[in-house]
Amino acid sequence: MHKTKIGLHTFMAIPAFALFSLFFLYPLAKGIGMSLTDWDGISAAKFIGLANFKEFFQDDRAINDIRTTLLFALGSAPLLNIFGLIYALLMDSKFKAKGIARMIIYLPAVISPLIMGYIWYLLLQPGRGFIYHVLDNMGHGELFGNWLGTYSTSMIVLVLVNVWQYAGMTMVVYLAGLQAIPGELYEAAKMDGASFNKRLRYITLPLLTPSIRINIVTNIIGSLSVFDIVMSLTAGGPGYATETLSIYIMRMCYGSKTGYSTAVAIIMFFIILIPVIAAMRLTRAKSEY
Amino acid sequence: MLKLRKVLSLIRYLSIIFICLLCIIPFGVLLILSLNTPKRVFYEGNIFIPDFYFLNYLEGWIKSNIGNAMINSAVITIGALLLIVVLASMAAYTIARFNYKFNKLIFAILISCMMIPGIINTVPLYTLMIDIHAINTLWGMALVCATNALPQSVFVFSGYIRSLPIEMEESAIIDGCSWYTAYWKIIFPLLKPAISAIVILNGFGIWNNYSQAVFFLQDSKKHNVPQALSVYFQQFAGAKWNLMAATAVIAIIPVIVVFMIFQKNLMKGLTDGALKG
Repeated sequence: MHKTKIGLHTFMAIPAFALFSLFFLYPLAKGIGMSLTDWDGISAAKFIGLANFKEFFQDDRAINDIRTTLLFALGSAPLLNIFGLIYALLMDSKFKAKGIARMIIYLPAVISPLIMGYIWYLLLQPGRGFIYHVLDNMGHGELFGNWLGTYSTSMIVLVLVNVWQYAGMTMVVYLAGLQAIPGELYEAAKMDGASFNKRLRYITLPLLTPSIRINIVTNIIGSLSVFDIVMSLTAGGPGYATETLSIYIMRMCYGSKTGYSTAVAIIMFFIILIPVIAAMRLTRAKSEY
Repeated sequence: MLKLRKVLSLIRYLSIIFICLLCIIPFGVLLILSLNTPKRVFYEGNIFIPDFYFLNYLEGWIKSNIGNAMINSAVITIGALLLIVVLASMAAYTIARFNYKFNKLIFAILISCMMIPGIINTVPLYTLMIDIHAINTLWGMALVCATNALPQSVFVFSGYIRSLPIEMEESAIIDGCSWYTAYWKIIFPLLKPAISAIVILNGFGIWNNYSQAVFFLQDSKKHNVPQALSVYFQQFAGAKWNLMAATAVIAIIPVIVVFMIFQKNLMKGLTDGALKG
């Protein structure tokens, strides 16, 4: 850190901060103001206090959307971490074609989740899709139903497609964490006769805490604000059953309930903030030990 | 013991092969679908042998807006990445090197906003974009995408700059150079690894941005790739799989090509960038 005269270097953070203020902080503040009005996007807004928030919690569709969003995250975030970790443990050794395998497993994560959703939509078509065909060839075509047609099955499909797409991403973060663990630790543990389970529990997992933390926080934020794959796989259907909060915000905004949609965004902000803070607290406590 | 080890490593290989197949099969099916004639029911005959009907690609290309959308996506992505690299690295430099109170304040604000996903302020941002005539413009979308990435980028850049020794700049200052010039001449060229991490971490996401494009790019001339594809699919969904598949293949080819070229850097960038976060 330096003490020096004032010059151009003093103001180098200003352009970035100006952009951030205009396109992030100002809308954030404006949104809080808008959430207290009945603005429909066109005519003059009227101050209505907390009525939007009240309306939200009395709206069955909104409550359903909270449930869907939370269920999706409860399925996605843990599964992404479990599969990412398993993939990383499998991949954490030297073998031929490791680079290619890593590339293939990561590939779905760089494709647009909207397009990925459409691809799975085609695969999952009842009676015509690839998966029906595979099951049918095995003689179990009857196992396949219209999985995107009911709430419970379409939720499972949404979670699994999301996990399928992003497990490679969590894997890469875990792989990086695994590579940072010194090999001597394992050697020493093996000499002492520690089993694989014990090594996993007392060496790998504790030393992997930074990666676990990154992955859990990223996945909580990502899955609670999910938008693309739901739009392409179910478009929120059947009915509004699989509609998530981010889709609800968009539809309310387009439905001339602009003020109300900003109130939903603020509620969503807290729905994301609380588990993120909890996850950060939990992983911090662990990294000290 | 040795035998057990061999069995275990065999199981490991088989699992990895299984996972790879799981990841790649949907793309294979997509490719087959894209090459079937419109008349063919998907599962007539041998499903692994398509009709090699390449006209699907031509028709998909013409009927959808995908070509134009790719140019739009490219302009948005390149513009946003340039902005991120220049603005975030400049800010990170003064934050890392100079202890001004407002530098600390700016950094604290950026970091605390790092956890807020873009969808939260999209609606008020939408009204702002209308006010400043940035709606349905590529530059407006680029600014939005750049803003989304700013906090994390400043964080990664400032961590990287702190790890660089300050002595080189100091000797340049003694020779009469200003700190600002010293930054561009000495530090900026050293930022390459951090820049590639930032570009890789954000590039695909900006190209694929859909949740904000829905708001800010409604004019079909300004659609980006996901927007163009979703509009095209909603017109054809359920009916013409061959065209849907062919257009989807067209849309993902540039992404896969870029990914293949940069995948080595990508893995390094992800691991470096991620572990510093």
